Amino acid sequence: MATKNLNAVPDVDPKIQYQPWEGRFDEACQKSGEIRPHWEYVLNALTQLGPAGLLDRQQKAQRILRDDGANYNQVGEKSKSREWQLDPVPMLIDSEDWSRIESGLSERAELFDLILRDLYGPQELIRNRILPPELILSHSSFLRVCHGLSVPGEQQLILHAVDMVRGPDGTIQVVADRTQAPSGAGYALENRLVMSRILPSLIRDSQAHRLALFFQALRRKLNNLSPNGGTPRVVILTPGAYSETYFEHTYLANYLGYSLVQGGDLTVRDGYVWLKSLDGLHRVDVILRRVDDTWCDPVELRGDSHLGVPGLLEVVRAGNVAVANPLGSGVLENPALHKYMPQVSHFFLGRELSLPSVHTWWLGDPDDRKYVFANLDNLIIKSTHRRAGEHSIYTGDLNDEQRSQVRAKLARNPERWAAQIANLPSTAPAWNRNKSNLQPRPTVIRGFAVADDSSYTVMSGGLTRVASSSKQTVVSNQLGASSKDTWVLASEPQRYTTLRDQQTTSLTGELSSDLPSRVVENLFWMGRYSERAESSTRLLRTTFMQLSAVNSLPEGVRRQLLWSVTAVTGSYPGFNSENKETVADPEPELLAIILDSKRFGSVSSNLHAMLNCTEEAREMLSGDTHRVLSDLRDTLDDLPQQLRPGSLSAPEEALDPLITSLLALSGLTQESMIRGFGWRFLEMGRRLERTLQSILLLRALLVPVLSEDEEEQVLEASLMCGEVLVTYRRRYRSQPELRNTLILLLLDRTNPRSLQYQLDQLTQHLSELQDAGDSTSSSILSEERRRLLEARTLLRLCRPEQLAELDKDGQRSALDQLLGKLFTLMNDTATLIAGHYFEHKSNPQQLVNTRWSDYE
Amino acid sequence: MIYRIRHITRYEYQKPVSQCFNKAHLLPRSTNTQRCLERKVSISPNADWQREHKDYFGNNYCYFMLQEPHRSLEIDITSRIDVKPSQPEGSLDLGCSVAEATARMVEAADEATLMAREFLLDSAMIRANDDLRDYAKASFKPDRSLLASVREITQRIFEDFTYDPEFSTIATPLDEVLKHRRGVCQDFAHLAIGCLRSLGFPARYVSGYLETLPPPGQEKLVGADASHAWFAVYSPGDGWFEFDPTNNNMPSGQHIVTAWGRDYEDVAPLRGVIFDGGGKQTLDVSVDVARV
Repeated sequence: MATKNLNAVPDVDPKIQYQPWEGRFDEACQKSGEIRPHWEYVLNALTQLGPAGLLDRQQKAQRILRDDGANYNQVGEKSKSREWQLDPVPMLIDSEDWSRIESGLSERAELFDLILRDLYGPQELIRNRILPPELILSHSSFLRVCHGLSVPGEQQLILHAVDMVRGPDGTIQVVADRTQAPSGAGYALENRLVMSRILPSLIRDSQAHRLALFFQALRRKLNNLSPNGGTPRVVILTPGAYSETYFEHTYLANYLGYSLVQGGDLTVRDGYVWLKSLDGLHRVDVILRRVDDTWCDPVELRGDSHLGVPGLLEVVRAGNVAVANPLGSGVLENPALHKYMPQVSHFFLGRELSLPSVHTWWLGDPDDRKYVFANLDNLIIKSTHRRAGEHSIYTGDLNDEQRSQVRAKLARNPERWAAQIANLPSTAPAWNRNKSNLQPRPTVIRGFAVADDSSYTVMSGGLTRVASSSKQTVVSNQLGASSKDTWVLASEPQRYTTLRDQQTTSLTGELSSDLPSRVVENLFWMGRYSERAESSTRLLRTTFMQLSAVNSLPEGVRRQLLWSVTAVTGSYPGFNSENKETVADPEPELLAIILDSKRFGSVSSNLHAMLNCTEEAREMLSGDTHRVLSDLRDTLDDLPQQLRPGSLSAPEEALDPLITSLLALSGLTQESMIRGFGWRFLEMGRRLERTLQSILLLRALLVPVLSEDEEEQVLEASLMCGEVLVTYRRRYRSQPELRNTLILLLLDRTNPRSLQYQLDQLTQHLSELQDAGDSTSSSILSEERRRLLEARTLLRLCRPEQLAELDKDGQRSALDQLLGKLFTLMNDTATLIAGHYFEHKSNPQQLVNTRWSDYE
Repeated sequence: MIYRIRHITRYEYQKPVSQCFNKAHLLPRSTNTQRCLERKVSISPNADWQREHKDYFGNNYCYFMLQEPHRSLEIDITSRIDVKPSQPEGSLDLGCSVAEATARMVEAADEATLMAREFLLDSAMIRANDDLRDYAKASFKPDRSLLASVREITQRIFEDFTYDPEFSTIATPLDEVLKHRRGVCQDFAHLAIGCLRSLGFPARYVSGYLETLPPPGQEKLVGADASHAWFAVYSPGDGWFEFDPTNNNMPSGQHIVTAWGRDYEDVAPLRGVIFDGGGKQTLDVSVDVARV
């Protein structure tokens, strides 16, 4: 086929070219090479943008995605995530084609709902020999403990997602169903929001159907599922920050306005499920789960699961909470079911399936087995039970040895395997930035349906995934696929709708009461770690500056400064005076304290800990905050490069961007966070940490007695760390001396970095917290407030002259003692706050060890 | 015959347990040959939530939760059961032959046979395999009655294996039991089920009790004073038949059924989760079965 020049405007150069593959169905091009009518407008518009324009849009898209924190975590690799990939060329489906797909998807959801209800009820499909008993009853996702469970409403299957491909003959076929915790709807929404920012007029003029109606239906359905009266409290249950699609969980929680919770945030008492928040327990009515069903309740399912809620099943059984999708729905994901769908359709609906499945064989069936073994060269082999990290096998890619291994594996447990025709999925044009052109890429479309009254509402669009290379036969995000926004083209302009069009009722009471205490705790630690990183970075910067000053540093100052680095970061033994070599050549140790993420107290380890906390509290942070965090992550990744040993001309400069990001972060929490529990605890964490860090610093730098000249330099360094050197000079117009330094750093209430200021702030936070609680108890100070009051009083009563004086032994024992006492009191305060407000229950353990039957 | 059964399970924890969720398969079910007349479940300390349900296999179970700290937990269950004798010992040359049974299982012409295929499948604690088949196959001649063959394998297990409570725990795998030829009633039931499934015959696990005090002049049976376990086999067209390999007999009148399932795991007497505490815990079980 000749290279087709799509360019309608001849003067744009270089041209964007597109050549579909021989013998494959292409979404955009007909066999003759003509562009299909519904693609013309979009392709022309993209062509007019030209390669430079498209590259620019793609980069903009990736930037937005990155700022939104859109990523996809790799299975099994902690904290390794891939940025979500979005192709600037959308997938287009015309309205006529779509109406067929839409009714097919709705019918399929209806059928799967009927299957689900049947399997956990009368099992008519088995009794009537529509489904072989082994197909269902040997499947490890058929959960006998879920027999007879139900959620309110007619349908049991709430959400259904379907992967579809268009085969060589142009018909759409289903290749997979997702029925227990379908993912992708949130990514589809994010794709749409990004596209409407990078190509706003194109999306408008193409009249792409909006996605909001689907989410409205989802929200309506979830609200209606509530078995209890009043305004329902709906939560999204996530396995946590390391799950593959965590971004989506936080994204949907925010978009739909639900709390994002983990198993440990919920507890079962008195036959109900409750959300543990700082102001007590709140009843949960509906759980949208993203945790696979066998992990949801260690009492009756996998006993070793820490992701679930012990007792959940019994609450469902009692009809006091609704879980969507219902537990046990994973059994519908068995790909071997495809084989039986035509019969199931006849059985339940008395008609042909309108959206066919790709031809599927089940190896548990003797005839099918024979066929598969005889035709093992061009099939896709799928396990009947999908497990994380397991992919379909395309047998065409295998050599003889691999093929016989596969054969042996299938023969061992045939009922655990299904085979599908390796139908080559249709291709669609995708932007290839390396070659600056459009290239055909195999595509899989995921469609979504949500139960709505008596039928299903289908998302007018979906998530299209694109193979990452032309070679790939299996399209999977785990294998690095990219995605496309999917536009269903309307024949008439779209009315504008968003979630907010809907009449909504909100839960009464303070918003923050829906915040799991785990999230608040993470914000508290986020505050602590970020402050810890910031103050040690400041100190390191000061140290580098002093070390590289034109005049060589007096030995005493140098020793003191280096020791303070060790003392403040807690990275012992460090610059202990006995480690003569380390002190003589401080650079390796200083670099390690910055870069070595495995080392306790290093800047890098604190920042990583802080970033982990932000993941757990993701939904609480604004878009701008995510951007700052992305920058911070980049700066952190870049640091080893910036601080290569031996190349240190001005290492302190490499630390500047870090401090800037951290300052931006604290600025954002001040300016953009709602003054709820979350903000308060983040602030308290920060203040507590600043208190502790300054005490450590002042004790290391100012207590040891030095000669007058040396002391001046040390004082200067401490003022520098405290960001008040300039203030000092302006205020006292003299060289630094101890008494005034102490006033500025310890007692000055107008200095936001002084100790007094931190204690004032903390006092206010704690009193407001206690006052907000039980009014009778507020007249009696809590333990943490007692410590704080004692610390504050000690500080108020101290006399700077006395602290600066030497005792009879020539030591600054008064200062030392004061700082020591303050440290103990404030350290206790921190521990007491954590103990008072955050629950630390140990993980559930099995009373009797049980086995969970899973394959192998 | 009417029996009164009292089953007390007592846990003592070293450290207080803050919350506890439990599922107890300790309530005898009604069957063709037994009827539950009365039962009382008492949990101490008092449960904050307690409900009775029927499970997938039609067994009764009790679900309870405790949500206040406690150092001990006692589950005291009393039932009164009317048991009719059944399955008289004697000639078992009835029902279908081994060969017929094999063919009928594949064909599954009637619904009962089709649904019994569930008990052919591997389960959490029992996997069919060649060793089990090799051990069992001598007893299963194609033209012999299936039930007589099962009776023989029941006897062989009784003769070949030593009852040894010291040898096995709940977690001892079946191949260990087969290799060392030792175990307790659960193991023997699992073993027989594994043999039958390996040969293509549906078999299920039955948990229950034995009469504790024997009638005058009769020997006390092994497994009394505790929960007992045996198995049942499905003979296509004929139904389910129970066998007790620990005592080399067919339960009749002195066995009281609590529950059945694919294996122990489906009907474990207690399964649950506790929060905090626990530590070293002690478990004390006492069972008393008496004729009323």
